[in-house]
Amino acid sequence: MAVDVGVTDMSDSKQRSISATLAAATCALLGTTAATPVDAQEEPRWDFNTSLLYYGEDDDRVQDISFKSIIRRLYADDRTLSLGLTVDTLTGATPNGAIRQDGPQSFTRPSGSSAYTEPAGELPLDDTFKDTRVAITAGWQQPAGESGLVSAGFSASKEYDYLHLGVNASYAHDFNNRNTTLSAGFAFANDSIEPVGGAPMPFTNMLDVGDTSNRGGDEDKDVFDLVLGVSQVISKNLVVQANYSFSQSDGYLNNPYKVLSFVDEDTGDTLPNIPGPNGGPSGQFLFESRPDERTQHSLYTQAKYYMNGKVLDASYRYMTDDWEIDSHTVDIRYRIPLGETNYLEPHFRYYTQTEAEFYRLSLDSSALLPPFASSDYRLGNFDGITAGLKYGWKTRNDNDMSIRAEWYQQSGSVPTEQFIGNQASRDNYPDLNAVILQFSYRFSR
Amino acid sequence: MRLRILTIGLLLVCAGCTSMGVQPWEREILAKEEMQLTTDPLEAATDDHIYFSKEASSGGRGFGGGGCGCN
Amino acid sequence: MTKHRSGRQVELVATEHGWAGRFWAMGSPCEVLTDGGDKHQADVLSSVVAAEAWRIEDKFSRYLEGNIVHQINTSAPEAVEVDEETAGLLDFAATLFDLSEGQFDITSGVLRAAWTFDGGNRIPSQKDIDVVLRCVGWRHVKWNRPFLTLRPGMEIDLGGIGKEYAVDRCAALARDAASVESMINFGGDLAVTGPPTTRDAWKVGIEGETPESAERLVDLRQGAMATSGDARRFLLRDGVRYGHILDPRTGWPVPDAPASVTVAADTCTQAGMLSTLAMLKGKGAEDFLAVQDLLYWCRK
Repeated sequence: MAVDVGVTDMSDSKQRSISATLAAATCALLGTTAATPVDAQEEPRWDFNTSLLYYGEDDDRVQDISFKSIIRRLYADDRTLSLGLTVDTLTGATPNGAIRQDGPQSFTRPSGSSAYTEPAGELPLDDTFKDTRVAITAGWQQPAGESGLVSAGFSASKEYDYLHLGVNASYAHDFNNRNTTLSAGFAFANDSIEPVGGAPMPFTNMLDVGDTSNRGGDEDKDVFDLVLGVSQVISKNLVVQANYSFSQSDGYLNNPYKVLSFVDEDTGDTLPNIPGPNGGPSGQFLFESRPDERTQHSLYTQAKYYMNGKVLDASYRYMTDDWEIDSHTVDIRYRIPLGETNYLEPHFRYYTQTEAEFYRLSLDSSALLPPFASSDYRLGNFDGITAGLKYGWKTRNDNDMSIRAEWYQQSGSVPTEQFIGNQASRDNYPDLNAVILQFSYRFSR
Repeated sequence: MRLRILTIGLLLVCAGCTSMGVQPWEREILAKEEMQLTTDPLEAATDDHIYFSKEASSGGRGFGGGGCGCN
Repeated sequence: MTKHRSGRQVELVATEHGWAGRFWAMGSPCEVLTDGGDKHQADVLSSVVAAEAWRIEDKFSRYLEGNIVHQINTSAPEAVEVDEETAGLLDFAATLFDLSEGQFDITSGVLRAAWTFDGGNRIPSQKDIDVVLRCVGWRHVKWNRPFLTLRPGMEIDLGGIGKEYAVDRCAALARDAASVESMINFGGDLAVTGPPTTRDAWKVGIEGETPESAERLVDLRQGAMATSGDARRFLLRDGVRYGHILDPRTGWPVPDAPASVTVAADTCTQAGMLSTLAMLKGKGAEDFLAVQDLLYWCRK
């Protein structure tokens, strides 16, 4: 193959293959007739990241053991395939939304097939939930042109009463010598809720065992998320980012298992109910009702600062939505290297939220029912504090391992104007105390 | 509305940051694993899920992984 | 008679897949990796390779007095008669000068006098460069094999081909001398004699495209790899970075050159030439490499 290597204009960007001429010249130099053709291939790399998690709340509440794994396959040209698997096993009890009473109470299980009781003075907890959840994610990421990165993926999860299916895509572009990155992404999900016993009609009573006359079937909801972000290198040691998120949920947003106590206007005690022969609720409890729409806006900012080997990671997030919930989250991590390969990382997080507009401790039986109401403590007014410590090291094969232990405490308060009668003297808000233990192992092949 | 103004303001400030930054050969520290914006994606996903289940806010950093019945 | 300078020795250590014979030559850490168990063979092979590497270093180094390069550089304007091996290298340099349209030029070493790449900000004036440029240019050289005549003030520097040439010579020796396959690696410029039997391929690691990218792993079964460039040698002035690859036609560093280029080719000489030529293309490095139809890695 003859190659023309005449004089070309220096500004000519069209390149010519010089391989043949070079090969001939090299053979002449080395005194060989022909060299064996090169056989070189770049190996696609695997990156495994797995962890085992234990999450446990006190007072016999939720306990979760979770196995999580993300596998990434790195191809040539920075293309990456990610596959994720999570398996959760949940046990334990969760507050059902009813308030404490001075006497014992009984409730019908969501399935409608039996009842359970709560001793006098105790916060009513439903322990029906022993569930296994499996979630998978898949994602593809590849460069787009000189400075772009495009990614797309899907997610799915299944529990006995819940199915999630979602897709997502995003694009990021580097500017300014890769010092600035702008990104935009969206996600769309359709979730199906298949409550045990069927979705109850909102604001109807909890019925006796065996009576499912106020139950419907399955429900669903759509969630659309949008994220716009910018990250900026400030100096050799400092990088910051800011994200704006928008989330829109439409459809069935209720928790089908939660109720509100229907109470007397003076005493604030739950109106009594005589359970049927097979068992049933000891009082009047109405199933909750939330709007069928929710719009959330968040602003998240983060900074990472390197100080002589130590790294400070601080972030702040503000969230507001049309349920009138406002929240602030401050999260600080401080990584301290120990020797060449190990590190210690204390962690502190402070969270505070105000209650949803329709949050109610209970429903006054003498008043008109509000359009929406829920006593779910997760929609209430509370502070959450997390304090933890993580320790990381490298194994003999140069792989990463870490363990962390954290304590999470939620303490909430009910707006005083919501107290009716005897309620004011009781501890109504179900404070949460949980411990988080996680072991992680990360290795490449 | 106030949030919208705050966000636009922040993004404009960052757009004005076009003169800020470092040269490619000064990125040694920024390249370290512990200086990545998300150092441990597994831990981040775990925390996101825990706090999504126990609080009324979610995400911030991004999204992905999807919903669950734990709310 | 093999005369070794003091301090020259070969150290033999066991590796997971065989042996490694290590020594220092041509300003780089060198190693001979053998595939498989025979220690004595590895020892003999390493000695043979080291001897050849030191022979080439002594013969073509511009730092040593009395060798052919020194003779050439001090004889101008007299002609110098060179031996077969040197003539081969000069023929190769001549071909490369044409092939690269003057960007690869073994007489460009004297530009060193004008530039010091220490990360500082002292850059020479155009006048300083013009003075030195008068002594640069292969077209001013009279090469009528086996006679080479330089103009006064000119020098040749075989540093740009010497190491890769040595790797290929040593690989040829290794192919003949040993019954096990080996990899000859002189400071990142390497060649293999053939595919190993203890595993599926020789594993070579390369740094990722950006500092944040993962290290890449290459399976090499046949052929060679070479790397050009060094991100650590540069000058910084008024925010402009001057890399250390000088264009012999202008006397100035090539603008927008990648930090380093690694190429896989049939021989180390070819790989080295292609990576050097790519660097000299500056901004056009990737376009150039893409057209050559071989495996390459460009690090910015």
